[in-house]
Amino acid sequence: MRDRSQLQAAGQPFTFDAERNDEFERLCTRYPIRESMIMPALWLAQEQQGWISAEVIEYIAERLDTYPAKVYELATFYTMYHLRPVGTYHICVCRTLSCYLRDKQEIVDFITDEIGIKPGQVSEDGRFSLEEVECLGHCGTAPVVQINGEFHEEMNVEKLKAVLAHLD
Amino acid sequence: MAETVKLFVNGREVEVEAGKNLIDALRVVGIEIPHFCYHPALGADGNCRMCLVGIEDGRPPLVPACKTPAQPGMKVLLDDQKIRKIQRDIMELELINHPVDCPVCDQAGECRLQDYYMEYDLQDSRMRVPQVTKGKRMDFGCGVVHDQERCVLCARCVRFTRQITKTGELGIVNRSDQARVTIFPGRPLNNRYALNIVDICPVGAMTSRDFRFKQRVWFLQKDEGICHGCSTGCAIYIDHHREKNGDDVIYRYRARTNMQVNGYFICDAGRLSYKRENENRQDLTLVDGVVVDFEQGIAAALEKMNKARRPLLLVSPDATLEQMWAIKRIATFYGATLSGYSDAYRIDDDGDDFLISDDKAANRYSLELLEIDRDRESFQAALAHADLLVNFDNDLFFSPINESLQRLLGEQDRISVCSHQLPVFSGSSVILPCASPSEYGGSIINRHGVLQRFRRAVRRNADPRDILEITHLLGGAISSAERAWPGIRQSVPVLRSVEPEQIPVEGLLLNNSEERDVGP
Ligand code: SF4
Ligand code: SF4
Ligand code: FES
Ligand code: FES
Repeated sequence: MRDRSQLQAAGQPFTFDAERNDEFERLCTRYPIRESMIMPALWLAQEQQGWISAEVIEYIAERLDTYPAKVYELATFYTMYHLRPVGTYHICVCRTLSCYLRDKQEIVDFITDEIGIKPGQVSEDGRFSLEEVECLGHCGTAPVVQINGEFHEEMNVEKLKAVLAHLD
Repeated sequence: MAETVKLFVNGREVEVEAGKNLIDALRVVGIEIPHFCYHPALGADGNCRMCLVGIEDGRPPLVPACKTPAQPGMKVLLDDQKIRKIQRDIMELELINHPVDCPVCDQAGECRLQDYYMEYDLQDSRMRVPQVTKGKRMDFGCGVVHDQERCVLCARCVRFTRQITKTGELGIVNRSDQARVTIFPGRPLNNRYALNIVDICPVGAMTSRDFRFKQRVWFLQKDEGICHGCSTGCAIYIDHHREKNGDDVIYRYRARTNMQVNGYFICDAGRLSYKRENENRQDLTLVDGVVVDFEQGIAAALEKMNKARRPLLLVSPDATLEQMWAIKRIATFYGATLSGYSDAYRIDDDGDDFLISDDKAANRYSLELLEIDRDRESFQAALAHADLLVNFDNDLFFSPINESLQRLLGEQDRISVCSHQLPVFSGSSVILPCASPSEYGGSIINRHGVLQRFRRAVRRNADPRDILEITHLLGGAISSAERAWPGIRQSVPVLRSVEPEQIPVEGLLLNNSEERDVGP
């Protein structure tokens, strides 16, 4: 697990656009406990901006009348939140037990050697980013890789090469 | 004690209060269950697992004691091999990445990790991989310094900022072995109770910038005291130490639990007010600016007081009930006017709805009980009229200096009995040094009418005298705090049946009816 506590600033304040704002208000009615809204709100912000900046955390804390430190806890706990801009293709490699035992490290090492990025990094051309994540819920078909939300099961280096070759 | 239940611990029957969790319930009968995350003020969080105990015939057989209420007939296993093994395993888990830097850690001597290790574990490390390293000496604000590596992630500090101060500056970020306590970048601790975090952190992860590396805790003598920072009168520990050939120095105040007054906490200003006891003290006796023996000072004061035709005596609202009484008695003896005027001890809108009070005087309530005049007009009139002012440690300039008062004082012949060198005392023709609150004992009554008694904690090399002793040397009848009580009892109805020796540690609530509005 990488330390994800180094927040980045986007350099400008964040606000939801009209569409996300409506969705935010709609969801609020479904969560009687306001703080339960932190995760969906983070998700909406990530959808809009592509990543979670320090300003997003402050904005959400303010909207939900909670502490920035609390939003910060959740944003750093869940690897699905990107704490910096990601590449065009965001590659998530599961690092939890089943995948670990079935050689997820070979996949990570291959990406590091081939594309030159370690978990948490973005390639220089901005095409790829890599994150090691917690159990993706496909343990039966470990090891598992998720690229821009799409699952690739029973992965190995050969298969990954083929998948990467098909990306434009 | 409230309703009780009988249960068994390691086969032995004990009777404890019903409804309490096992940690609190059994502590009362002398049985300690090790724990990190549970704190009575913060509730059970159940995250540390250090408090697991066995319940025979229970389902499940292992439970966290912090979340388990005492039930009648329950068979609790604490000394069992299985439980010992769990405690050892938890210790090993805690110590995987913990730097064993007890020799340089401020918490050594009052660290639960250290204590439990000595009690349950004592194993060498089996770790053959490098330890996870994290942030050191992080400035969290408000004088709190954090060491992430020593933290056992009990979340007490986080819960404190969310539940008690409601400021929420702290959080635990990341997960697994990278989890760490931190502030949101750029938003440090910002509340007036932050240093309580240092008290509640069970290990050395939260330290006080003020106390760090000043003293090893096992050298400190810990005495019970009462904070004189405001009219709440929080219960504290006075930790002090006398180096060989040195003077007795106070190193810190810590919160002492008193459910009737302050609960588990104290404010930061009160905590740091120990400095006042060490600094800027008036040690010398002066007559007309010349240093003399204390006896000579007393003689000079006596001469002036005997000559004065219109003496005015001024009492401090910080004085103890007994001191006030003694001063009241010598006022009668000399036919003097007596005043307890002390507007300066009040800072409007400084208080909050937790502990801090606008009123910075420790014992204003007693001034009222003893019917000592507190009015500004009558004090100023008396001052203009008097030919001698004897000031018993009342700092009229506690808050910004009042110029008209200063002018009036400047024209007056003054005797000052004082513990500190303050502008209000300078220019007095006689200065007699006296003890500060940590150096005497007595009774004070807080703003809610709770009468507490405290004992002398500190003895200095140049041992200053209690004001009460000084009044006796000046011809007063009261020679000790005990001797003050018959008179106090007689003249104050609510204190009529009070036996000072029998005042409980948590104090005696004098007036359960309405809260009294004690004005200056
Ligand atoms: S800093 Fe101390 S109180 Fe806070 S979580 Fe760590 S060990 Fe607990
Ligand atoms: S609230 Fe008042 S009495 Fe309590 S610690 Fe603070 S200053 Fe002292
Ligand atoms: S361990 Fe990788 S999907 Fe569950
Ligand atoms: S004290 Fe019970 S789990 Fe921590």
